Amino acid sequence: MPIDCEDQELLEGFLAETTELLEKLDDDLVSLEKSPEDAELMNRIFRSIHTVKGASSFLGFDLLVKVTHKTEDVLNRLRKGELVVTPEIMDVILEAVDLVKTLVADIKAGEIVERDIESTIAKLVPFLSMNATEATVLSAAPKAEESAPAASAQPAAAAPAAAQSAVPQVAPAAAKLKEPVPQKAAPAAKGEELADNSTVRVDVKRLDDLMNQVGELVLERNRMIQLHSDYQSGLDPNGFSDDFGKLSKRLNFVTSELQMQVLKMRMLPVEKVFKKFPRIVRNLARDLGKEVDLQIFGEETELDRSVVDEIGDPLIHLIRNALDHGLETPDERVAAGKPRMGTVMLSAAHEGNQIVISIKDNGRGINPDKIAQKAMDKGLITEEQLATMGSREILELIFLPGFSTKEQTTDLSGRGVGMDVVRTNIRKLNGIIEIKNELGHGSEFILKLPLTLAIIQSLLVEVEREVYSIPLASVIETMRVDQKEFHMIGGQEVLKLRDSVLPLLRLGRVFSCADAGNDRSTCYVVIVGVAEKRVGLVVTRLLGQQEVAIKSLGKFLANLPGIGGSTIMGDGRVALIVDPMGLIGGGEGTGVRKSAAA
Amino acid sequence: MQTTALKVKSEEYAGELIQLVSFNLENEEYGINVLMVREIIRMLNITRVPNTPHYVEGVINLRGKVIPIISLRRKFDLPEADYDKRTRIMVMEVVGEMMGFIVDEVSEVIRISEKEIQPPPPVVSSGIDQECMAGVINQAERLLVLLDLERMFTADERRMFSSVA
Repeated sequence: MPIDCEDQELLEGFLAETTELLEKLDDDLVSLEKSPEDAELMNRIFRSIHTVKGASSFLGFDLLVKVTHKTEDVLNRLRKGELVVTPEIMDVILEAVDLVKTLVADIKAGEIVERDIESTIAKLVPFLSMNATEATVLSAAPKAEESAPAASAQPAAAAPAAAQSAVPQVAPAAAKLKEPVPQKAAPAAKGEELADNSTVRVDVKRLDDLMNQVGELVLERNRMIQLHSDYQSGLDPNGFSDDFGKLSKRLNFVTSELQMQVLKMRMLPVEKVFKKFPRIVRNLARDLGKEVDLQIFGEETELDRSVVDEIGDPLIHLIRNALDHGLETPDERVAAGKPRMGTVMLSAAHEGNQIVISIKDNGRGINPDKIAQKAMDKGLITEEQLATMGSREILELIFLPGFSTKEQTTDLSGRGVGMDVVRTNIRKLNGIIEIKNELGHGSEFILKLPLTLAIIQSLLVEVEREVYSIPLASVIETMRVDQKEFHMIGGQEVLKLRDSVLPLLRLGRVFSCADAGNDRSTCYVVIVGVAEKRVGLVVTRLLGQQEVAIKSLGKFLANLPGIGGSTIMGDGRVALIVDPMGLIGGGEGTGVRKSAAA
Repeated sequence: MQTTALKVKSEEYAGELIQLVSFNLENEEYGINVLMVREIIRMLNITRVPNTPHYVEGVINLRGKVIPIISLRRKFDLPEADYDKRTRIMVMEVVGEMMGFIVDEVSEVIRISEKEIQPPPPVVSSGIDQECMAGVINQAERLLVLLDLERMFTADERRMFSSVA
């Protein structure tokens, strides 16, 4: 049945609001289970469901009304202390919320599908010992008291809605629809976001700041035009250089401010991703029979929306792994002298131009011997290869597709895909993965990601007179070396770097640059990291660091191996951006051999 | 596929005048429907792009947009020649992408009647792929080859562009 709603705007408002409420609801419900005494939390949950119910009945979504109504009844009993919060009740409530989400998704898709809501409702009913009429009365009471303040807070909103419909009692319903608006004003500044990513909500203040900056820019432009005409008419040619210097300084200042502002608008708090984890962890822990305390830090850390969209999946896999592989069962933990409840710590923080996300558990840690054994059993590496590997390289084996320590595939893990997904996504973002591992005490996965994908800090290098730009996010260090220090191992040039052996790639050769006839024996090695791999890129000279805007090369030249895009330099020329992932990924097969050779 | 502009017009009324941009390549004259051409610019600094087909000269910065540049000489297997002050880049939109094509010289815009366009001769002497010849125009003192660059890239090449190149 297609949706028949006269007022499209009203429907959109309803969808936006409901989606937002539901997202928050999951989080709140899980917290409620932990602290059932929190009356404020309880009321907030109740209000959310109630708002959804009110709005959907106003718009005539009967299925939604039925489900939310029963859920509300159960919540009401919890609120009044007639029921006690138990995992069983929470399971049913969460299921009901999921159903509500499905129904809302149907409405969003523009088509109401007949869904089985009776089975979920049937699960809710046992928690209601009262009969239906009483329940209705109960829920009607708070409706009245809540609509009153809302209507006064939003009289303007209520008025047009009332005008639309001659029936007077619709007014409080419309007010309820608008009810969360005043609550939302505060979090809106944090960039509260809807599930659909096509629109952005921007804080008005940020927009004003942006306007200011643009005003400044216009001013500077006028000054530049003035300066030019002064110069042309021969007025004070001596002061020109001075004035021009000042002008370019100011322009520099204004544009970098502008850039920051625009960048900030694209930023979202990582909370958007993090907030779905308590629910996932709760369910997983129940399924696995483990006791888990999920601690989240730094959820207010902001990062680019493109990054936010991509890190969700890898994080889910890492958390799942932490719970499934990392943490022991309560009994094992007690036997090992640890507290029964395991801890998983999820944190995000800014570190320079990067964002660092870490997933840390205090479980059993990763046993390198076991990893090595499994990898050999599965035929991913040979014994000779293993013999040459350091412990770091062995840990990195878990990223190989097809690797799994599980004997049996369950619906949780065992297919050997998870870590490969992690690696692929992190690579896509030009990020780095580090593993810290302490056997018996847990492991930590650290993801280092660039703040944005549109403008990057880059290292400009010269390769046989051609200029290339390497994303600074993947550069670990640079060094000047004599080519005599290069060693040849199994057809692969390597460099001994402290205690490790670094495979080398000559950029000039990879990009088949014409030899510029440079016979100097010293050159520079730029050590880049992609996910867990490290490679040294051999270049002729280092030119310096610059912030560059990434420009696509277009469809025809997309997917060139080792080239991630291009950028325009100060002199208007195009410089290509090296894609370390493409370079290293291109030698996938040799990658293992390389580390084996090392 | 005929050049769309040509086709539509010929269906409506045969003998419609069309405008062609004529250019030179190794002393031969070619024409391209003016509607295809976005702009004609002088040679700029071209940045070489590694691991591309030989006829891809590189990329340029066209007012903030990076577009690929193709050498028509190389594409048509004509002998290499140095760029001089008459060398031009014709920027066109080919299959939805902006691209630049290097030609020896751009001469003029001419009007011809569609009736003058003859089918291409069966044997083509120069290296030009028969594929992208839309026809020839035989006027009293000149012979003009009408090109359809949309057809210059075979389906295979397009796929190659977008995958490995």
